[in-house]
Amino acid sequence: MKRELAWLDRVIFAFAAFFFIAPLIAAAEYSVRGYGNKGHTFANYSWIIHQLGFSAALWTSLRISIITILIVLVLVVPTVVYVHLGGHRYRRLLEIVCLLPIVIPVVSLAIGAQVAMPKNLQSTSYELCFFYVVVALPYVYRSLDIGLQSVALSTLVEASQSLGADWFKTLTMVIIPAIRSSTTGALFITFALSLGEYTLAVLLHFHTFPTWATNISQENIYGSIAISVTTLGGAWILLIFVAFLPRIKSLFARKERVA
Amino acid sequence: MVIADELAAPTRTTGGSGSSRLSIKFDRSVLGLLPIFLFLGYFLLYPIASIISSSIHDNKHHLTLSLYGNLFSGNYRTAFTGSFKLAFYSMIVSGIAGAIICWAVVKTNGIVRTITSSAAGVLANTGGVPLAFMFIAAFGQEGLITKLLLNVFHWDLYGGSFDLYNFWGILLVYCFFQVPLMVIIFTPALENLRVEWVEANESLGGSKSQYFRHVLIPVLLPSFISACLLLFASAFSAFATAAAMSNGSIPLVPLFIGNLVNGNVIAGQENQGDAMAMGMVIVSLFVIAAYLLLLRVTRKR
Repeated sequence: MKRELAWLDRVIFAFAAFFFIAPLIAAAEYSVRGYGNKGHTFANYSWIIHQLGFSAALWTSLRISIITILIVLVLVVPTVVYVHLGGHRYRRLLEIVCLLPIVIPVVSLAIGAQVAMPKNLQSTSYELCFFYVVVALPYVYRSLDIGLQSVALSTLVEASQSLGADWFKTLTMVIIPAIRSSTTGALFITFALSLGEYTLAVLLHFHTFPTWATNISQENIYGSIAISVTTLGGAWILLIFVAFLPRIKSLFARKERVA
Repeated sequence: MVIADELAAPTRTTGGSGSSRLSIKFDRSVLGLLPIFLFLGYFLLYPIASIISSSIHDNKHHLTLSLYGNLFSGNYRTAFTGSFKLAFYSMIVSGIAGAIICWAVVKTNGIVRTITSSAAGVLANTGGVPLAFMFIAAFGQEGLITKLLLNVFHWDLYGGSFDLYNFWGILLVYCFFQVPLMVIIFTPALENLRVEWVEANESLGGSKSQYFRHVLIPVLLPSFISACLLLFASAFSAFATAAAMSNGSIPLVPLFIGNLVNGNVIAGQENQGDAMAMGMVIVSLFVIAAYLLLLRVTRKR
């Protein structure tokens, strides 16, 4: 049955590949077009860098992403480890709570933030960090959960404590290294999300890289396509890294087992 | 759009120890959860509670439901209808296209499988202005694909009612992240199909169409519908892409709310945006609840 349908599968793959790859190629071609459609050039890419506010916007976005990651590391990672240790009693509760942000559309969250947050928080772009943690929470939870389920957590903790380590040492030197790939996965998702997030940033009137790119894109069509290619390329490299991370790890695991 | 990955495989997270019942008795170990509860309470529940509160008060601070009543008339109604229509069409188109691609994907393995699944994960998280400009370069009036279709296939994309900046254009753009989303969510369901069922059907003398009607459809329908619901929720609440594509020319709820936030408020209706935002939350709640219910049905089998 599989053989005889192989040609149909190929047609499906060809169509899908065309629909998803053609726009990329089109955008890449457009981004290197010369002014007035003459020749090909990288001028559009250097145009981006020379626009007012480029480095400021990028720096703001980077700072926000790094702080978001730190909050995830300090707040979310220990809590998820904790419920996996604590006899699983509150795991289901935490799971439900961590999935909650999915139900709330980001637009609604932005409105709520505008109504509820105190003025001094709303006057700084670091406000975004907290909401990015909320938005990223479901992905972070799931990534960590999968990692924690694959290791013998209580054995590790017992071993570590019988060797005299305290809780902080156990967490930072035993557990987090043991689930390194899912922790990095979670952090990369957080990073990619907070670097590319547009809705909250624009609705709360902050100037991050995505909102800056949107503003600047109204001036030069080729330049804005170059921005699109750059940001998509950057985001995809990050996300591909996340996607391949577990596979890289399992590759190593196999080698260890053989050895 | 990112919702997807997450809800795609909650089965994995729930299994575990089996003793995961919530206990009502207080014990101290719940204190470990306090920091994250406080955090979510302040940054998620408190904002939502605030918009609930202001959506049931008019600008003279009188309790009223009239703001919700307004949602059923005039421009607000148009916006909700527009969002429903876009979410519904994109659910149907991406649901079917995604399911067909899944059907081809599950038969592959090795490197092809790895590439398609990572590509789906990456494409499903694409959106906003970059996506919009990519489509302008490809399907715009001067786009490469538009030219290709015209010169090679003699098909004028813009001959009919299609325009990249109207409803159909946005629908096309949404497919770019909705179809991969469907692939991510629906692939596990197809993977769970057993070879034994094909064999059982054959050994009982069933034909291929009987297998299709009596085995495949009943088995896959709940997962298909639940996956589609997720697509609906994703399209319904998408903001960045719609904002980049339409400049507000298409009536959609998220764009409408965006306009209100940017200060285009009609005097005396300051809280109307809150009611709209709550309207979105309510729709999304219903859709996700239906999704979870269906998921439970599929999981029990």
